[in-house]
Order: sequence, then structure tokens, then C-alpha cells
Amino acid sequence: MSRVIAFCFLLLASVLTYLHVDSRPAWVPFTSDYPVNIANQADDALETTEGSKPVKPLKNTGPVKMAQPTLQMGWLPDTGAPSVHAASLITLKDGAVRAFWFAGSREGAPDVVINTAVFDPQASRWSAPTVVMDRVSAEKGLSRYIAKLGNPVPARMADGRMQLFFVTVSIGGWAGSSISSVISDDEGLTWDRPQRLISSPLINLSTLVKSPALAFADGRLGLPAYHEWIGRFGEFLRIDAGRVIDKRRMSSGRGAIQPVVFTDGPQVASAFFRQTRSSSQPKQIPVSETKDAGQSWVVSKDLEIPNPNSAIAALTLANGTRLMVLNNIEAGRYRLVMVMRKANSDQWQVVQVLEDDESLINDQHREFSYPYLISANGEDAHLAYTWDRKKIRHIYFSAAWFKHAISILKEKEAQ
Amino acid sequence: MITPYLQLIALLEMSLTCAVVFVILAQKLSSIDIPFSVRLLAVLLLGNLFFWPLGMSMELPLAAYVRGVTGELSVVTMLLLWSSVIPSNQKTPLGFKVPLALIAIAFYPLALGLGMLDPYAWGYGSIGLLIAVILFAIICGLAGWIKGVWIISFAMIAWASHWHESANLWDYLLDPFLAIWALIAIPKAIYQKRREKAQSGYLFRAG
Repeated sequence: MSRVIAFCFLLLASVLTYLHVDSRPAWVPFTSDYPVNIANQADDALETTEGSKPVKPLKNTGPVKMAQPTLQMGWLPDTGAPSVHAASLITLKDGAVRAFWFAGSREGAPDVVINTAVFDPQASRWSAPTVVMDRVSAEKGLSRYIAKLGNPVPARMADGRMQLFFVTVSIGGWAGSSISSVISDDEGLTWDRPQRLISSPLINLSTLVKSPALAFADGRLGLPAYHEWIGRFGEFLRIDAGRVIDKRRMSSGRGAIQPVVFTDGPQVASAFFRQTRSSSQPKQIPVSETKDAGQSWVVSKDLEIPNPNSAIAALTLANGTRLMVLNNIEAGRYRLVMVMRKANSDQWQVVQVLEDDESLINDQHREFSYPYLISANGEDAHLAYTWDRKKIRHIYFSAAWFKHAISILKEKEAQ
Repeated sequence: MITPYLQLIALLEMSLTCAVVFVILAQKLSSIDIPFSVRLLAVLLLGNLFFWPLGMSMELPLAAYVRGVTGELSVVTMLLLWSSVIPSNQKTPLGFKVPLALIAIAFYPLALGLGMLDPYAWGYGSIGLLIAVILFAIICGLAGWIKGVWIISFAMIAWASHWHESANLWDYLLDPFLAIWALIAIPKAIYQKRREKAQSGYLFRAG
């Protein structure tokens, strides 16, 4: 008799779980932040030679001479913390830019907090920094012990709210990371209670986030994440508010983390990674591709740009031009450049050397790392990156600057 | 619906689980059988100790510190633990532990990055995984382990109702602690069988 009752209960459970599976949202195509108008590219196009050549650091390029217009360079506001890192940016509804970064006595210290400030593009000025999250408020909100905080990454939800993903660690180093998120109804002034994203079967250990999210056609977010423990590989999380509802592996093994994704259409996208390979393997950018909107990824040929185990930033402008900011050297993080690739081209070219300590002796090399790129209107770009772990550099590239940079490159090519 | 209570439910579960673990340890160390009423009282007292913030220099209840390290336990682990303090507790058969151990051996390396195949992703709504779980529960029932049918059914319902933070069925069925327990149970059972065999051989050896 008890067996019959148990089987009846199992039947009930089976029906409920089947209904749950059946109600799962279908996987949908990507959407674009702004319609990519490749036709516009014609005016701005770089004239490139046939075929794709390996991109080499253009040592003689030097900073592109920008008589007019100049780059707007500044710093994120100083919080007095000796160590700052992992800045990220998001455009606000009024056209301003909000930055997030972590700051504390050192990376991984319990006193690390996630700071935020707003950049007013009219006044070209940053607001005073405030704290979004500290360790104690994270652990109270998540009802569990938190030892330290890490990378913050903001995203715009389909309903207009802002979501901030951030890394927390309860045990061990960054390998013990998990991702949590908070949502704001008022453009980042106040935040609701944090929620934990579950993305790993082993005590939810070792999932981190560094790169911007993508939007799906149904309004959900696709978040490029990565594991950094037994394996070092990329994962594509499908997020529904504060919950992971699906995930797909972007790479495997121990060689590729921190994916950034370029979409090539509603179904097609390429992910570029920070390489974490052993010394015998090529120090280049690993690549994965999807042709079904991120449901499955295939590892493809490396992008032949040097990568010294360092994060890269990626952005597509409205005219289809692609930008990346990266350290194009095989060791160290003392040189940071912006590379550009025009629509329908395979060739990446250095358009701006942002930092270069190559002339200094080894122990004087500073670290320029963790770049993050966004565009406010599809024609310009805001860049933030860690400057020697002491400050966060902010650079604004106007639409005019991009036009000018392209024309200079064309001149160089003509020569 | 459950979302506002997710953290509260998780803390209550963890408090109860910690209390039960202490009672099980006490029973293992004790030479006499602890009466059920005493076990229940101990679970209640210890559960409260883990659940309520104790103040002092601690910002959180004790259960929250444990949860920070262990994460959420699977529903299967919790129900197996909780049911073990009940007097008429049925012993978990080796027929459950062995397949569980084999699944864990294959599952964890793949789920943690070995190759491009990720069985953990099936837990978000693969009908194949769901059918496999239902079949596993049916086999448990047909083999006579009725408690197993109940436990797996509860885990499935918990998943369908978003009982925990995870939206992945695997997290309701399996966790590393359950996997380790199942893995240890196999050599333990082999050792016990050999010992029983040796003892019976000694007692009934032909004179």
C-alpha cells in the first residue's frame, strides 16, 4: 500500500516537473543595442589589404596625432583607497555614464567595497563616489558569509531597470567566486536586496563575471561568465532577473577566461577570451563562435593578436566598426592599445596606443588592465581601465575622434 | 511566490541540517541508543542555536556561516539526513549509493570543465534528464526502497516550485557531500561484507 501511495506521489511530482519544463522560455535570438548601419561604414571605412594578416603591435604608430578633436582623458573619482580595480560602465537614460569599480586596501581584502560615480558628459565631470555594496551588506542581503567582493558588471534590463552583477567569495581565492546581482529602479541610486546566481554544481564555486551582458529578443540577458578553478573556461549564462535559467559552455580546458562577445546577427556571435594557457602554448586571443544565438559554441582559430593573460574590452559601433582595447604584448600589462576592425573585414589595426611603458626597465613597468568599453549613442565610446591599480582612467572617444583616427590610418596605409 | 522567503527557507533548512548532523554525530559516539524524544529536543534546541543571530562579533546566524561554506544542500541530502533521526528509519540501500557514486564520478569532471559537454546544463529543463530521474525513482520503489521514491519526488517538486535559489534540477538531487557519502559507502560496504564473511567462517568452521 505504501508503495502505491509513493508511486502516486511520484506521478504528481512528474506531472508538476513536466509542466515546469514545458513552461520554460524558448531560446531566442540576440538583439542589438542599436541598429548596426553598415551602410554608414562606407564613409568611415578603413582601406585594408586583401586577406587577414596577423596583427602586430604597431610600434612606430605612437599615439595617433589628434590635433582636433582630442581625447577627453580623466580619472574616476578617488576614494582614498590604495587599491582600485575592475571598472565597468553603463549609459544612463539621461545620457550620463555610471561607473562601478572595486576599491580597498588591496585586491581581495575584506574592506573592498564596490563604488559608483556618475559622469556628466556636458560638464565632463564625475560625481562624488558612493558605495553600492560592501562585504557586510552583501552577506546580510545574501544570508551567508561573504569574505570579499570582486568585479562589478552593470546591465540594462528589458524593463529599463539596471542590474548589477558582482563577484563574491566566501571561501578561498577568486577560484571560490560566485556571482550575485542587485537591481535598481532609479538608475543606480538605490538597490534592492542582492540575489545569488547559481551556476555551478560544486557548492556553486568558481563562476565570475567581467564582460558586458547581451540582450536576447525576449528581454532576458545573456551574461558571458567564466570559471577559474579546476577548469578555466567561458560560460554563457541566460539570466531571468536574478536567476540563471540556462547556461552553455563557450570553451573548455584551462586556457580561456573572461569572454567578450561580438554579435554578428541575431544568431551569430564570436567570443574573444583572455588566454590563461601554459607557457608552451601560443599567447594569443582564443576565440569561440556560435551560430544559434549562444545555445552551442565551437572553439575556432585564435585571433592572432598577442595576449599576456589579460582582460580585453570589446564594442561594436552603430556603423559596424568593432573596437577592442587590450594589452597586445605576450607578457606584462604595460602596454594598452585600442584596435579597430571595420565591418565586413577581418583585419584588426591599432588606432591608438593608450599606455606604453616599454621604454622603462622591467621593474618600473606599470599595470594598465581590465579595460571596459561602452558607447552612449553608438558613435562614441567611453573607456575605463585600471591604471597601475592606483587609479581608474576614463577616456572619452567622440564620434569625431573616430572619424579622424580612421582618416589618419588611411593616410598611413596610403604611405 | 517563494522568492521573498528564499533566504529564510534556506537558513531554516541549514539550521535544521546542522542540528541533525550534531545529533547523528552524538549518536555515533554514544554507546547507548539516544531516545527519539531526546533527539528531537536536541534538534530543536540546536536548530534554534544555528538559526538565530547570536550577536557578539558575529554579523550573521551560525547557519549563515555554514551556508557560506557549503552552499545550499540538495533536497535529497537534507531529507536523507533529517529522516535519519526518525526511529523507524530505513537504511539507505547500496543499490542507491552505487549508482549515485557512479553518476557523481562521471558528472562532476564534465560539469567542471572537462570537454565541451556539460551535463549540468541538462538540469535547467532537459526532458531526458527528467525521464531518467523518474525512472531512477521507479527503480528505487520497485526495489523496495519506498523512502527513495518520496525523497526524489520531493526534490522534483522543490525544483518545479523554485524552492531554492537554483533553477537547476541537479542542485536539488545531488551535491558534493552526497556524492562523497555515496563514494565512501562503497568501500565501507565491501569491507563490512568481508568482515562478516570472515566472522561467519570462523564461527562455523568445520572442526
